[in-house]
Amino acid sequence: MTAMSSRALSATVKWIVLLLFGLWTIIPIAIIITNSLKQPLDIFTASPKFVFTPTKDNFVQAFVQGDFEKYFVNSTVVALVSTTFVIGIGTLAAYGLTSFGFRWANWVANTFLVGKLVPVISMLLPLFVIFQKAGIRGTLAAPIIAHVALQLPFMVWLLMGFMRDVPPELEQAAMIDGCSKMQVFTKIVLPVILPGLAAAFILSMQYSWNELLFSLQLTSFDTYTLPVGIASFTGAVSVNAGESSAAATVTMVPMVVLGFFIQKYLAQGTTGGAVKG
Amino acid sequence: MVKSPAGQGLRARDGLLGVVLIVPAATTILAVMIVPLIFAVFASLYDYKLGRGANLPFVFLGNYKRFFQDPLAIKSLINTAVYTAVDLSLCLVLGVGIATVLATLRPRLANFLRAIFTMPLLISPIIVSLIWRYMYDPQYGFVYWLMRSVGLGDWFGGLSRPSSALACVALADVWNVTPFIMLVISAGLTVIPDELYEAARIDGAGAFRIFYRITLPLLSKVLAVVVLIRGTDAFRVFDLIYGMTNGGPANSTSSLSFYAYKAAYQDNEMGYAMAISVLTLIALVALFGPLMRNSARAAEAGK
Repeated sequence: MTAMSSRALSATVKWIVLLLFGLWTIIPIAIIITNSLKQPLDIFTASPKFVFTPTKDNFVQAFVQGDFEKYFVNSTVVALVSTTFVIGIGTLAAYGLTSFGFRWANWVANTFLVGKLVPVISMLLPLFVIFQKAGIRGTLAAPIIAHVALQLPFMVWLLMGFMRDVPPELEQAAMIDGCSKMQVFTKIVLPVILPGLAAAFILSMQYSWNELLFSLQLTSFDTYTLPVGIASFTGAVSVNAGESSAAATVTMVPMVVLGFFIQKYLAQGTTGGAVKG
Repeated sequence: MVKSPAGQGLRARDGLLGVVLIVPAATTILAVMIVPLIFAVFASLYDYKLGRGANLPFVFLGNYKRFFQDPLAIKSLINTAVYTAVDLSLCLVLGVGIATVLATLRPRLANFLRAIFTMPLLISPIIVSLIWRYMYDPQYGFVYWLMRSVGLGDWFGGLSRPSSALACVALADVWNVTPFIMLVISAGLTVIPDELYEAARIDGAGAFRIFYRITLPLLSKVLAVVVLIRGTDAFRVFDLIYGMTNGGPANSTSSLSFYAYKAAYQDNEMGYAMAISVLTLIALVALFGPLMRNSARAAEAGK
């Protein structure tokens, strides 16, 4: 084989690989979105049906007649409140651990990282019993507290990574100019680590919005979140394909749209700056 | 630096401020993570059932002994290990492969495709399970339609046969999280200097040789992080199994997390469930702890 034809061959293979991966990525998403717009007769066909008359019935059924509007509000509250606490408490702790020269700071950070290993089920079972006794199981506070605690160790570790990158000269200069430690924090550190805060915000929102297991057992009928509502479809004997697809579509679209803007933070964020792109 | 008494005073006060800043996070983690975990360890020593009242029989390590004599528990452990291995290796091959191919494209096109390919990563696992339940529907599902159209309709077991169900669940997870590996590896690839590739090409090395000799070794640190994050996630799998198979058919997809959940909420064996969850945590620390220490050290050294 000549060099020329082998290059043409590898280019062809490359495009075939990209095309197949594109189809593999898009087909499942396309199916759930089109299902949400289809009448039952158009969904249950032996071979996929591409041409159909779209209907909004499924969305009406899930959100107006069903309870998904309520779940949507619950999910928004849980995600926003838990993220606010995670970022607020986490940023303060990360600053405390990086900027005061504590010798035990790295040890604490690495111990925090072990928190990333804890299976949700190991936390859920005791929290379920404790929250039950404390009388907060079934309220929105229950999943919020669980989400904050599960996320905090990793987020502190993540934000510490970004804070270590703040040039010490900047902080020293501000101190000489008479800034207090807290002024250095608000005027120097926070603006510099803004990309880190954005990454932490998005990761935390995404986690809380998508989380199932805590919410499944810590909420009750009035406080169900979107994933719990969707899980109720998968447990049913005969699933309402249209309604469940409509609920799933509304739940996933905000996060997927968000993903378009923040893909570079996703890699950097989840690996805690171990990978720099 | 001259130490003035005033400076000393400032430093002591700052030290206190530093501790105060850490207190809210430390308290939350202590109260909502560490104390509950300790409580779980204690409760796992009792024959603990919800609604039973105060007199719980103390069984010491009985629940742990039961785990190793319980065929379903052992099966769940094996399922979890197999699932993690299959899932992780498929994700790695696909993710590294796609990232490598994308790196050869013009940056603008690569970024566009990367954004498209990232979509599944942002979808909640419970929605992923709903989507793939439709994909695997024996009558109307796309996967079956595809299998039938290439004449494999009868051969394919999907979610309804014990021999194929676990692999089918793993495939749905691969769909969900391969983009994560693609993103991280893509970021890792940009750090490798082009001169290395050029030098190798001048020496006459082929594409595969370059991949094995240059790309993979230089990615090893990044790969360790990916294996750590994805491996621990796969080992804790719950949502997909809850949503797709409910552990069946014939317990062929029951994972440790799922089995603990079932013991707690279906069989009301809270003590046993806590023992299973503690064992899951121990297994995770044993399997991934060493990798985590390396990564933490690398992250610090990289600063």
